[in-house]
Amino acid sequence: MNMDKITLSQEDSLQDYLDGKLEGSALLQLKNVLAASPALQKRLEDLRQVHQFLNTNRLESPTPSFVENVMGGLQKLPATHFPSPRNGMLLVVGVVIAAGMLLSMVSAGFFDQFNGLISLEQIAPAKKYFQQSLPSLPVNGKLLVKILVGLNLAIAFIVLDRTVFRPFFQRRAGG
Amino acid sequence: MISLQEENELIDQILAGRQEMYARLVDQYKSYAFTIALKILNNKPEAEEAAQDAFIKAFQHLKSFNRKARFTTWLYRIVFNTAVSYKRKNRHIMSSIENHDKGVHHEEFALERHDKSVFLALAMEKLNEADRMAIQLYYIKEFSLEEVAEMMGQRMNTLKVRVHRARQRLADELTRILKEEALTL
Repeated sequence: MNMDKITLSQEDSLQDYLDGKLEGSALLQLKNVLAASPALQKRLEDLRQVHQFLNTNRLESPTPSFVENVMGGLQKLPATHFPSPRNGMLLVVGVVIAAGMLLSMVSAGFFDQFNGLISLEQIAPAKKYFQQSLPSLPVNGKLLVKILVGLNLAIAFIVLDRTVFRPFFQRRAGG
Repeated sequence: MISLQEENELIDQILAGRQEMYARLVDQYKSYAFTIALKILNNKPEAEEAAQDAFIKAFQHLKSFNRKARFTTWLYRIVFNTAVSYKRKNRHIMSSIENHDKGVHHEEFALERHDKSVFLALAMEKLNEADRMAIQLYYIKEFSLEEVAEMMGQRMNTLKVRVHRARQRLADELTRILKEEALTL
């Protein structure tokens, strides 16, 4: 057996040893082999020189204006803007008033006349593309307006959350 | 150095709208980010621009940071990817500058022919790009193999092989150069 020949596993052990990752029996075994092999000792010395050279790598410092430049860059971002709390409240009040008016119109029976059927046959493009007779769709004006009111109130809640509640709780959490 | 808890609290505050708190994170990690970018780009102004760009990207995507890994691991991955894309974008410009620089370096090397670190610096140039990046990032203070693997988007074992192979090649190259030097004396 050629004692000067360094195996891949020995090479790996030497590198783990330099990285400080070899311990216990593996470390003892390597030390024994090292003591008996001048070639391995030479290789360890070569690798140690490389290790020391690479260890001279140090952290480099950027220019003093680095943080300022990054923070300046953040200002230029196309941020998602929400209205100020005051404008948000005005928007919410407007939406609630509009929803209230619509609901009072519904309860006054203003939309009762919009109940009925819409015949798809009367829609010109439908006639053009469909050979068969098309059904009529029932329309409930009151229900449609109620859905619209519901959507408006949901939007009002989101606006209230983004412009008033969230900034308020964030300020409290941030101290 | 800020603790993991402090880091998470800072991130919570930034996400809650206190953008100014981000300056603390930038200040804390700017040197690491800059050094990573510099190792990849080998050009200080460009590395600074890439590192700044990476911090801005990290801020934009902070909401998507899921906190399974440390913030730094996630940030350095962004820095690495940003620097690599800068390198690809500016490769043709860089190559002409590098060629010019090499001429200057060789003159400097000629003045310090017996300095082993100079030979090793020359040997570094002979490594392939991925191995060189791996070994340079690994030797930036405090980075573990796991962190560098995460940063480069590689498996730990692949990275370990790269680092080992790079060091072997550097050692081989150093031995070869020193032998040649001995023969010319």
